[in-house]
Amino acid sequence: MTPRPPALVPWKAAVAFAVLIAALAVMPPLFRLSPYTHNLLTLALLMISGALAWNWMGGYVGQVSFGHSAMFGLGGFVSARLMLMEPPGPAPLAWLVGGIAAGVFALGAHPMLRLRGPYFSIATIGLGEAARLLFTYWEGFTGGASGLSLPIEIEMKYRLYWWALGLAAIVVAISYVMRRSTFGLQLLAIKSDVDAAGDVGVNATLYQDLVFVLSGAVVGVTGGLYASYFSFIEPNDMFGFERSISFVLMSVIGGVGTVFGPILGAVVFVLLRQYLLASYPHLYLGLYGLLLIFIILFEPLGLSGLAFRVMRRFGRGRRAAAKASIA
Amino acid sequence: MARFIDLTVSAVLLAGLYAIMAYGLGLIYGVLRVVNLAHGGVIMAGAYMGWVLHWGLGLDPYLSMPIVAGACFVLGVFMYRVLVRHLPRGAAGGPASLLLLFGVWLVLRNIAYLLFTGNDQAIRTEYSTRAVVILGSYVSVNRLAVLGIAIVVPALLHLLLKRTYLGKAIRAVAQNADSCTLVGIDVGRIYTVTFGIGTALAGLAGLLSATLFAFNPGFGSSELLKSFVVVVLGGLGSVFGTGLAALILAVVEVFAILVMPSYLTAAVGFVMLVLVLVVRPGGLFGQRVLG
Amino acid sequence: MTSCRTFLAIALAGSSAIALTPTQAHSAEQTIKIGATLPLTGAEARVGGNFKEGYELAFEQVNKAGGLDVGGKKMQVALTLLDDTSNQATAVSLADRLVNSDKVDLLLGTYASHLVEAQSTVAEQNRVPYVNGGGGATKIYKRHFKYLFGLISPVELLGTTLMQWIDEQQKAGQLPKPAKIALLWENTAHGKDFRKGVSDFAQKSGGGYQIAVDESFELNGKDFGALLGKVKAANVDLFLVDAHLPDYITMHRQYVAAGLCHKIVSYGARGSEADAIKALGQDNVNYVLSGVWWSPQLAAKPGLSRDFVNAFKARYGGRDPEWFQALAYQSARTLFDAIQKAGKVDREAVRSALMAMNEPSLLPGPNVQFKEQFGQQVQNPFVIQQNLPDGTSPIIFPKEVATGQGKGANPRCAK
Repeated sequence: MTPRPPALVPWKAAVAFAVLIAALAVMPPLFRLSPYTHNLLTLALLMISGALAWNWMGGYVGQVSFGHSAMFGLGGFVSARLMLMEPPGPAPLAWLVGGIAAGVFALGAHPMLRLRGPYFSIATIGLGEAARLLFTYWEGFTGGASGLSLPIEIEMKYRLYWWALGLAAIVVAISYVMRRSTFGLQLLAIKSDVDAAGDVGVNATLYQDLVFVLSGAVVGVTGGLYASYFSFIEPNDMFGFERSISFVLMSVIGGVGTVFGPILGAVVFVLLRQYLLASYPHLYLGLYGLLLIFIILFEPLGLSGLAFRVMRRFGRGRRAAAKASIA
Repeated sequence: MARFIDLTVSAVLLAGLYAIMAYGLGLIYGVLRVVNLAHGGVIMAGAYMGWVLHWGLGLDPYLSMPIVAGACFVLGVFMYRVLVRHLPRGAAGGPASLLLLFGVWLVLRNIAYLLFTGNDQAIRTEYSTRAVVILGSYVSVNRLAVLGIAIVVPALLHLLLKRTYLGKAIRAVAQNADSCTLVGIDVGRIYTVTFGIGTALAGLAGLLSATLFAFNPGFGSSELLKSFVVVVLGGLGSVFGTGLAALILAVVEVFAILVMPSYLTAAVGFVMLVLVLVVRPGGLFGQRVLG
Repeated sequence: MTSCRTFLAIALAGSSAIALTPTQAHSAEQTIKIGATLPLTGAEARVGGNFKEGYELAFEQVNKAGGLDVGGKKMQVALTLLDDTSNQATAVSLADRLVNSDKVDLLLGTYASHLVEAQSTVAEQNRVPYVNGGGGATKIYKRHFKYLFGLISPVELLGTTLMQWIDEQQKAGQLPKPAKIALLWENTAHGKDFRKGVSDFAQKSGGGYQIAVDESFELNGKDFGALLGKVKAANVDLFLVDAHLPDYITMHRQYVAAGLCHKIVSYGARGSEADAIKALGQDNVNYVLSGVWWSPQLAAKPGLSRDFVNAFKARYGGRDPEWFQALAYQSARTLFDAIQKAGKVDREAVRSALMAMNEPSLLPGPNVQFKEQFGQQVQNPFVIQQNLPDGTSPIIFPKEVATGQGKGANPRCAK
């Protein structure tokens, strides 16, 4: 038996986290953020949830999925359909149902979880592309290639910030607890060696299913909020390969397998992209590519790894370094 | 009956195209266990090289094959020596290599936008729309040539792998890199050469695609996805398996139009991909290393 | 905990970074700021570049002439143009940036229906007039947005106009009755509208037309062999396709190589482009019909189109503009007109001026009017062109603007 791990959630961390969320919650009115900044932060918060949920699968279990767009799109369209009903379903319920639908869909992918490494990755590409084609064709549900338009509600888009913040808070908390719990250690065992994990009594199949369904459901909820945010969704965009890639990129840029990494990655992904697009429209693809190459070659833990390295330089050394592997 | 012949001809021609797109990806995975996500970018680069040679020097695309293949070989060697070589080996290397090479693809795409803008281009030659009649069905000579090359390339690869020292070394490295080091094979050099050949094949596929399709810097993503399907169906790393898998995929996609809307025929390939991976992860013909 | 603190730091740094994003320096009150995004990279990059030329020409002309006359004061116009990379989410957040961070006064549209449909939501939410010449799908305007103005006639009407000309040929005995149609459309909002235009016409024809093949295909397709085989087996008379340029080139090559020939061949809005003729060869594109929103041949008679073509040629090295540049140019001009009519740079006033707009334009047919019943989308007719062996593509329909006589039954097939 290993020595008993420290308390699941140290109370100091819990308090700090609560303060942080509260600070973020009062930030928009307090700083009188412009609508542009406000909306961009909403988008960043949404992407934090999506990236963290992807990271449960890609980072904790080590199954790199290139097909999360399937769950994202499904969640988005199911909730859009519910919001377009007569009378319209309440948005939060619609998002939730969208998430459940995406989770059920992920459960259907159960046989794929036997695959490891690149085989799993390639299978998820197939899943994502097949889903994109089928849902683009299925006009009755997704509106086909011309997509679905939701009624414009300015208030709704403004309020989405807090919904996205709430979702992100929950997802961050789950990520943190999952990482520190025995469950997290078991996932780590699966990641290192699935057969050995089975030998020591970790039910790899069940756990992977569990994580994939949970990950899919959260990405589905994110898709629903995303639909409300943009008021117009279209299957080629929602189910696109680029969408799947974006989840991977956010986690990798930030630092795969950590809690802090995908958060940082999502924020950077949304803000940096916006900045690059506006400032260097002719170079943004290449700059992105170079950043990716740089991270993979020099800093496997991504920007968060880099951040910890910088902090170590400034003396908060060992403590931060120790956290780097957990946080 | 005429319809059946037409469809069969379409399927065989399409198979040639799929095969030529997939060889490079398959070879690199087979030896290095690296999924070359830059494959699509190299296809695009090959297309533009052929286009530049054609408009600039008036060189026929089939004559520029050695030039493009050579240039892409150099590109591949460069990519390997400067980037891929530094990746961690083993399980951690899988996702990392995917992402690294995706980064390369983005850079390639950006360079193409800077050099050629986003305009659609095409290479037009005397024979672009010429056709011969076979069994009462019209067959584009250009597509026929692509099919021919798709058959010749694996044969040459086979000879290379079976008959030359280099080929034997490549196969040995593919099977067990560690013991190769022990017997004095320079594994790094073999990896470099293999990556170069795989990239050259991708460039060749791009050049040939350019004679058939309009393209722009975004070109290559659907080619990459199709190549994935073909390589997986054939069993990752098997050259003849790749060719055969291309034929199977093409036949299924083409004949699917008899029973379903044309738009959905593309989805059949992806569904097959998932099913084959789940049921027979070694590919339809089982896992053979570069047989 | 460290991670939490870092996160807070990053979040705050991030938001202040956005808040501090430098906005373009401009002499206040003197310059009207107009924002737009265009797909300068990505799938729609070619057309994005064309639209850019049209916008830039319009802005240069006005500024060279001393600016717009706004309530008796001369004001310059400045265009803030960003690249939306042919991506919806980007188009939306950049529009948000233009309005709320760069503080532009008014918006011009991007190109391609799905991008316009996504982006116009920002204009509506922020109550900024948005004039576009790039989103032709009727569905966009069925939402009845108050601030969205479309200078591009519905694609549905393209199908209808094409069928009207075909119908004339049928009545003249050039085509069999009933005529069998193969209808192939790209699976996009554009393609779906085209399909609706053609199939509605066929339905109302009372048996004059029968749609034998009705199939969609994916953008940037590679192999149309199976699809063309189906067309061949159906033995049709009319081959009507709606496709983007790359698909037109790829499909038509395979069409010619497959030895196909039909009495009527059309690729919707494609056909007369110089790029396409270069890629396919003149022989192979002869007698292809295309329906476009505007053609440089409208410059045959003196008028706005001639002025535009001359100015364009002078600015861009003698090149002829295509409809893309014309629609972009006209969108900017229409917005300028509305500003001058409003007499002030006020979003509500400009919107009212646009609603009341009744002005001649480059577009064929009547004055530009944004009628509420059509969701403020213009309903100007299309012009049908036909490629001829001598390399020209005269307008053959409607008669008022025709510059040549069309051939009803494709002479290519006689061989």
